[in-house]
Amino acid sequence: MCSEIVNSFVQAWHDHPARLRRLTAAGRKCIGYFCTYTPVEILYAAGFIPVRITGGRGTVEKAYSLAPDFICPFMKRSLEKALAGEYDYLCGVIQSYTCDAACGMLNIWKENLKGTHYHLLSLPYNDNDGARTYLRLELKALMERLVVDTARISANALGQVVDLYDGIRQRISLLYAGRFKGRLPISAQELAYVVLAGQVLPPQDYHEQLERLIHSIDDKDVEQTGVPVLLSGSLVEEPEILGAVEAAGLRIVADDLCTGLRPYSPAFGRGEDPVDRIVDRLMARSPCPSRSKAIQRAAHLRTLVMKSGAKAVIFLVQKFCTPHLADIPILAEELKKMDIPILVLEMDEHWQSSGQFQGRLQSFLEMIVL
Amino acid sequence: MEKTQKSIKRLKSGKALNQVVAEYYLECMQAPREGRPVVWMPPMNGAIEMCYAMDLQPVFPENWSPVCAAFGLTPRNFEVAEGMGYSRDLCGYLRNIIGYVNGPMQAEAAMPLGRLPEPDILLSPNGGCVPVMKIFHALERRFPSAKVFAGDLPQVAVEEIKQHHMDYAVQEGARLIEFLEHAGKRKLNEERLREVVALSDQACALWDEIMTYRRVIPAPFSAAEIGIMFVMVTRQGTAKAVDFLTLVRDEIQERAHQHQGVIADEKLRLFWDNIPLWYNMGLFNYFEKMGGVVVAETYSAAWSLRLDPSRPFESLALKSLRSYPMVSCVSVERRKQMLLNACREYHIDGVIMHRNKSCLPITLGQMDIKRALETELGIPTVFIDADHMDARNFSVAQFQARADAFMEMLLARKGYAHG
Repeated sequence: MCSEIVNSFVQAWHDHPARLRRLTAAGRKCIGYFCTYTPVEILYAAGFIPVRITGGRGTVEKAYSLAPDFICPFMKRSLEKALAGEYDYLCGVIQSYTCDAACGMLNIWKENLKGTHYHLLSLPYNDNDGARTYLRLELKALMERLVVDTARISANALGQVVDLYDGIRQRISLLYAGRFKGRLPISAQELAYVVLAGQVLPPQDYHEQLERLIHSIDDKDVEQTGVPVLLSGSLVEEPEILGAVEAAGLRIVADDLCTGLRPYSPAFGRGEDPVDRIVDRLMARSPCPSRSKAIQRAAHLRTLVMKSGAKAVIFLVQKFCTPHLADIPILAEELKKMDIPILVLEMDEHWQSSGQFQGRLQSFLEMIVL
Repeated sequence: MEKTQKSIKRLKSGKALNQVVAEYYLECMQAPREGRPVVWMPPMNGAIEMCYAMDLQPVFPENWSPVCAAFGLTPRNFEVAEGMGYSRDLCGYLRNIIGYVNGPMQAEAAMPLGRLPEPDILLSPNGGCVPVMKIFHALERRFPSAKVFAGDLPQVAVEEIKQHHMDYAVQEGARLIEFLEHAGKRKLNEERLREVVALSDQACALWDEIMTYRRVIPAPFSAAEIGIMFVMVTRQGTAKAVDFLTLVRDEIQERAHQHQGVIADEKLRLFWDNIPLWYNMGLFNYFEKMGGVVVAETYSAAWSLRLDPSRPFESLALKSLRSYPMVSCVSVERRKQMLLNACREYHIDGVIMHRNKSCLPITLGQMDIKRALETELGIPTVFIDADHMDARNFSVAQFQARADAFMEMLLARKGYAHG
């Protein structure tokens, strides 16, 4: 059960396919993306509603006709849904090369699903003047591709969209800051709904909803129960998973998820024009395992642990996810040096709040308490 | 049939290959004593030519994995890596090399080809596939005194390469040279680089020529001999590669002119998609008992490109940009066209798709390619579930059942009586 103040987000998340279909029928265009390194500002400025593609829990049948079984649940379930027509309102997918699976899947979608706009961006990994110049050109190439059948994106219009997204990210950051201070009266599961809704709602609507939420929250200490933990991973598309973690006696005080704080940090970038601002923000993003070294992530997790007071780190990893799985040994070693206990849990597409999951969490809790 | 077995080599130049391999690893071991800094790098990019032009010793941890597989040393390496916490779901190259550098590499007893010398320099790639990036992150940790260069390389489909991708790749190449000059304490001579690029181009031309002889019926050599690719991985830009490939070309040319095939009665011509099973290269010979010869494979396309010695920096940048996408899911459309063309040119009767648990980038897109083969050319496909490094993910019985049924179907299609 979620509290009333987040009901509009829960509803928005659950109803988003119907809503996006209605918008499409009314003439709006929706475009998908798998990973948060896609510059949504450009998509929106070009006249598209950016929609984060999700897989969710369920079975996989049709997708195995196009992809192997040793691919993450997110990718196979997304394809399954697409093949079942659940993404028929999308007019394509714009994706940055963040992992091999997402890159390959973009091509598979392009080959097998309708849509006219499929494009792979290649972002630089280094941050220097040359890399930034290159990224500007890569973003401009995307704009040129998108504006074929829409009005050209003016600097002014793009600037306003960047302002809008900066505002959204600042508000999300505000909610997380409240959680760090123990002054956010909503659970991790509820916060997950708030974040997820933002990845499928038109940004203007989402901004307004966030504003209402922030105004409805009283800035006061919230009673805290459970052992504080940090949750790290990629997508957790079922907020109930976070609820199950908290039900086991743990309290999620910080996260390093791409359905959590990671894509919203930093909230904005600096620069002389809107493209520079997008470039600056992408370059400064919190380390993602697809684009960073484990050692950089270890430093980031250390900061989050210190800031939030977490006593342990739980890695919630999608099965077969190379970027995350490959980082685990180094992260485990680094966190061990800090005497921070860790637990690694893998999720498959059939995830449910099983007894085994609960059992492992409870054993972990007992170990931390002891 | 054994789970691990070597292939039957029929080329005389196979013996020369053994010598080329042994010499290369000996050269690697001697490099520190001879004052040549050792540079560990990923394969399939233009850094190799830069290293040879600067008299630096390139070493390819990825290429060491097939060597370990050939000598049956992977189980121990896997044990070490998995003991460190690396998941069995990760790429076998990754688990093998991380296990090797944290285990057997430090042991007293060396392998038949010696051991890899410790790196003075690590070229840590920001591009290519994720596992290779993660391998180098782990190597940076294992060899903390090595100097590290992290070079960006745009990950973009071959048909989508634009001027800004080229410019950035050239710029990163310039940054690499500057780094190597500093870290390796030597200057790059541009004239020498042009010579090296010319040698690399000659090797590519020879490679293409060798591949064209595989169009001849009967095929003068099969995928069982694909070990010749070793020089394209480790020796590009050297006279050694050109000399060896010339030897191979001459022998294959002669076999082609004499209509000397791999087997006496070639009935079926097959294509292998994805990386071979390095621990079981004998698999390629399996099809021969039913008259099948694997005459072409995806991997060889990675070296089918030309370089312009008068524009060495641009040529190496383009080589770096093209090689990985050519054989991966970055360019599924391009790969599909490449396979369709290969099937036409090599007169292929059937395609074996290795659904490779250790390589998602090559495996993704195979189903679309299969459909194109069937609809556009009427060529059937069989999927083999395996792993190019980890024999635990390969079932001999399942392979035999699928391969036998596939071969019987192909034979029947061509009008051969069963058996």
